[in-house]
Amino acid sequence: MEQYLPIVLLLALVVGFSVASAIGSRLLAPKRRTGAKEGPYESGIVPRYSPAARFPVRFYLVAMIFIIFDIEVVFLYPWAVMYRQLWTFGLAEMAAFAIVVFIAFAYLVSNGALDWGPRQRTGGRPPADLARSTAATVRRVPRPEELIERAGPEPRPLEPDGAPGGAPPRQAQPA
Amino acid sequence: MGDPVFAHGLTLAVWLILLVKTVAVFVIVLVSVLFMVMYERKAVARLGVRWGPNRAGPNGWLQSLADGTKLLFKEAFTPRSADRLVYKVAPYLMLVPALIAFAIVPIGGTVTVAHNTTELQLADPPWGILFMLMASGLAVYGVILAGWSSRSKYSLLGAVRASAQMISYEAVLGLTTATVVLVTGSLRTSSIVAAQHGGFLYHWNVIHTALIPFALFAVAITAEMTRPPFDLVEAEEELSGGYMIEYASVDFAWFYLSEYAALVTNSAFIVTLWFGGPDGPRITGHSIGPFWFFLKLLIILFVFVWIRATLPRLRYDQLMELGWKRLIPAALIMLMVVAGFQINREWGFVAIGAGLVLAGVLWRAIDVGRGATVVESGPDPRVAQEAEQ
Repeated sequence: MEQYLPIVLLLALVVGFSVASAIGSRLLAPKRRTGAKEGPYESGIVPRYSPAARFPVRFYLVAMIFIIFDIEVVFLYPWAVMYRQLWTFGLAEMAAFAIVVFIAFAYLVSNGALDWGPRQRTGGRPPADLARSTAATVRRVPRPEELIERAGPEPRPLEPDGAPGGAPPRQAQPA
Repeated sequence: MGDPVFAHGLTLAVWLILLVKTVAVFVIVLVSVLFMVMYERKAVARLGVRWGPNRAGPNGWLQSLADGTKLLFKEAFTPRSADRLVYKVAPYLMLVPALIAFAIVPIGGTVTVAHNTTELQLADPPWGILFMLMASGLAVYGVILAGWSSRSKYSLLGAVRASAQMISYEAVLGLTTATVVLVTGSLRTSSIVAAQHGGFLYHWNVIHTALIPFALFAVAITAEMTRPPFDLVEAEEELSGGYMIEYASVDFAWFYLSEYAALVTNSAFIVTLWFGGPDGPRITGHSIGPFWFFLKLLIILFVFVWIRATLPRLRYDQLMELGWKRLIPAALIMLMVVAGFQINREWGFVAIGAGLVLAGVLWRAIDVGRGATVVESGPDPRVAQEAEQ
């Protein structure tokens, strides 16, 4: 039981260090709050949506498959410690267990449970969303001379409300 | 068994020894973090034909101390949308396990102070290896809570990526560490070191378990620490900072500190588990365990820096594919092979044969799995549509 004592002492020291640093920072650091500073950082762009509450379901899947192996690892440790008393029996037991886990794992893999990235197509072009391909983007964004052609030689008339054409300048979102 | 200092009960001298040892381990970890940050920056700079920091202190060696002090004086604000409590606690959830894990690392030998013999190791519990796995497992909580509580897109993505990556490679870590436990028959770190003692290199676990488990362990622990080339968690080009993007001041400093403390501690675990810990040739009849321990630690740390300077980052699907479809099955099969060879050669070859069969099954399963996510065969209808236009 005494073997726990040094770890408890170190834990107490580290927690004390953490608390001291938090208090020290509170005492020493300035406090100048501004709206821009407290907004979420998105490379200088004002975020228009609250952060995604959803993320790809693959991550949940990985967490669940991880549990299979974590349970296996939990069983492995006592087995590994006792191995010198079990020998062939231990090997056979663990081999049986490992094979069962392995077959379940192979079944998961063969269902594509651990595949990442975009869905693939066998025929035609390499997998890509056509709306996002390079060719599509080039086609969608007109070249400068096309723009001049479209606009014609005359300057564009003003919009009915007096503002020049185009989208109105975006307002900063109120906090 | 265990630290002999407790043989005569808890006297005042024992308490003093424990306190000195506790403070010493704490200082060793903190100083080695300060050192490591500089060591890495210097080495990466030289590998990239640059000078690296060379202004603060002699040759710039006080730069990390200066950075840390500066961060203490910076404003520690909380983003408006953040979950305040979790946001403030998350860095400490990462800091504490990173700093206490070093407690079970045997630095080598025993010393006698005032008739009290004690090991050069803070704690020697019978569950030492589990403590190591616990420390690396708890780090996931700091990462995911930090990323989630910041309520920012980049930090959430970084945290989700980080947690999936860390748990994926934790399985490999557990399986390969079990190989060491298997050949030692004990979870106690001092027993693991003692079992590798005598016979320079030959008895070390890295050779004793045929190199492959060590290679898997090294990859897994690199990914577990999210070190390059597995640093997708903070991929600058995609996430700009990952889970710690909203942090500033000491909170940020503690993320940084715990990252490097984990690096130093995990390198110490690599030395302990695979490279015989303080084992090494005696010089003029004296055992100089701590010297060998720190020399090995320095070499391992340099290899981590070297890897960072050399290898480009993986893509996320490559990372998951490597972890799940290559490393985990390989670690599992290798564990059974080592277990077979522990009995005798015949069982070892039986295990290799069975392992090859299972590897073949998995090979086929991976192939089938690729087919499962293919939507349809034949030419893409949208391609045909485009051709018509």
